[in-house]
Amino acid sequence: MTLEELTIFATTQANVGMEAYYWWCTALMVIIHVGFLMYEVGATRMQNAVSSGVKNLLAFAFMIPTFWLFGWWIYLAFPGGFVPIDLEGYGAPWNVSMGPMLSDQATGVFWAAFTLFACTTASIFSGSVIERIRISAFVFLAVILGSVVWILGASWGWHPDGWLVTRFGFHDVAAAGCVHTIAGLFAFGVLLNLGPRIGKYNEDGTANELEGHSLVLSFVGLLTLIVGFFGFVGGCLIWGASDFGGWTNIYGAPATLSSFVFNMLMGLSGGMIGAFWYSRGNPFWMMSGGLAGIFICAGGLDIWYPGFAFLLGIVAGIVIIPANNWLHSTFKIDDCVGAVSIHGVCGILGMLAVGLFAAGYPAAGDIPPTNFMGQLISAAVMALVGFIPGYGISAIMKAAGWLRVPDHVQKAGIDKAELGLQAYHN
Amino acid sequence: MNTWPGPANSWEGVDAYFTWADSPGMLVLITLVMACVCLGIIISAARHESETDKNTK
Repeated sequence: MTLEELTIFATTQANVGMEAYYWWCTALMVIIHVGFLMYEVGATRMQNAVSSGVKNLLAFAFMIPTFWLFGWWIYLAFPGGFVPIDLEGYGAPWNVSMGPMLSDQATGVFWAAFTLFACTTASIFSGSVIERIRISAFVFLAVILGSVVWILGASWGWHPDGWLVTRFGFHDVAAAGCVHTIAGLFAFGVLLNLGPRIGKYNEDGTANELEGHSLVLSFVGLLTLIVGFFGFVGGCLIWGASDFGGWTNIYGAPATLSSFVFNMLMGLSGGMIGAFWYSRGNPFWMMSGGLAGIFICAGGLDIWYPGFAFLLGIVAGIVIIPANNWLHSTFKIDDCVGAVSIHGVCGILGMLAVGLFAAGYPAAGDIPPTNFMGQLISAAVMALVGFIPGYGISAIMKAAGWLRVPDHVQKAGIDKAELGLQAYHN
Repeated sequence: MNTWPGPANSWEGVDAYFTWADSPGMLVLITLVMACVCLGIIISAARHESETDKNTK
């Protein structure tokens, strides 16, 4: 082989390998949706089970075209704030890079991975609002969250040129902030306007447990979701193919798949065990704790000592239950799956944990090293990026009568009333 | 821009080769139709829900 032939060979191998890697990460992330589907349908009472599933699947379906239409462009165009940078047409849906193109093996697979992150973000919101949100209203809000809001936050804090990164050294390799915090706080904003299910609260303010029709489906769904998370976390690593020497994190600093899997598994197990102990064996909380354990480690998945990741997971597993109880008793929300506590609270804790326990890590180029103030400011920004549009847009929709299913439809069951279907038959 | 295989059916120099890749106007039109379809379906669903509301009362 000549040197030129060898160069071409090596470059081709690297590019094809990169493409295949993100292809399979995307495929694995679809399993997150299988998991969310099972989890939410299980958490729903029987008369609304089908509509919960339909709603969840619609979020997935609508994220794909809307992220292609404008989500991908938002990520690329807004790292500096609210003013877009000039991309010379790249990222617009009519740009040549947004379709089959032989010289570009990266755009499609990166777009696909980000689209599945968007789908995941919308799914986080989906479970909290089951049984009383109008399906059309939910789809609209999911598009806002999945193809506008989270990706704006990602442009700011999950992009090497994002202003939270370049100015404050924000470090959040596996999206504790832009996905989980934003989705959790967006859900919180919507829940404040949506109101609880009928029968959730008594007149004296005490709450009733409205259990779903299949606890087994829920906790099997949660473990299935975790399988899909290998695609999510894997997609958080950058393989620059022939451009870089190896893996980097989203900010361009060296990282390894090994470090991610060490800490993801340790955080997962810590969360499961902590929640098992605190909930006295409730499998719903145990598996939710597992997720929370991943999220609390997500910010520093590339740098934690695995033993510490396990302890962080334990904290997350314990915290989610009192946090959920406090949110309900204080704000009288009805978060059917604990999304605000699991994703919102643990996402925030995940960002702060990096500042508290991993300050001083250098990043690539001129990015400041990790620091507590940077993490604190960024956590506040992510929380606001999620909460403000969630609350504001749902308030307008509520005033227009386009948010909540009427009480008589809720009582009749959305499946029968709107879809003419029944989940189970004799 | 689009460089479809030429009359000789050669892939030499081909880059963006998807349908209408050489027609920005068509790409914009298709994009707009997509956006209208997505929005239209949400509106249609909302109308169906309102009908259901009346029929269930």
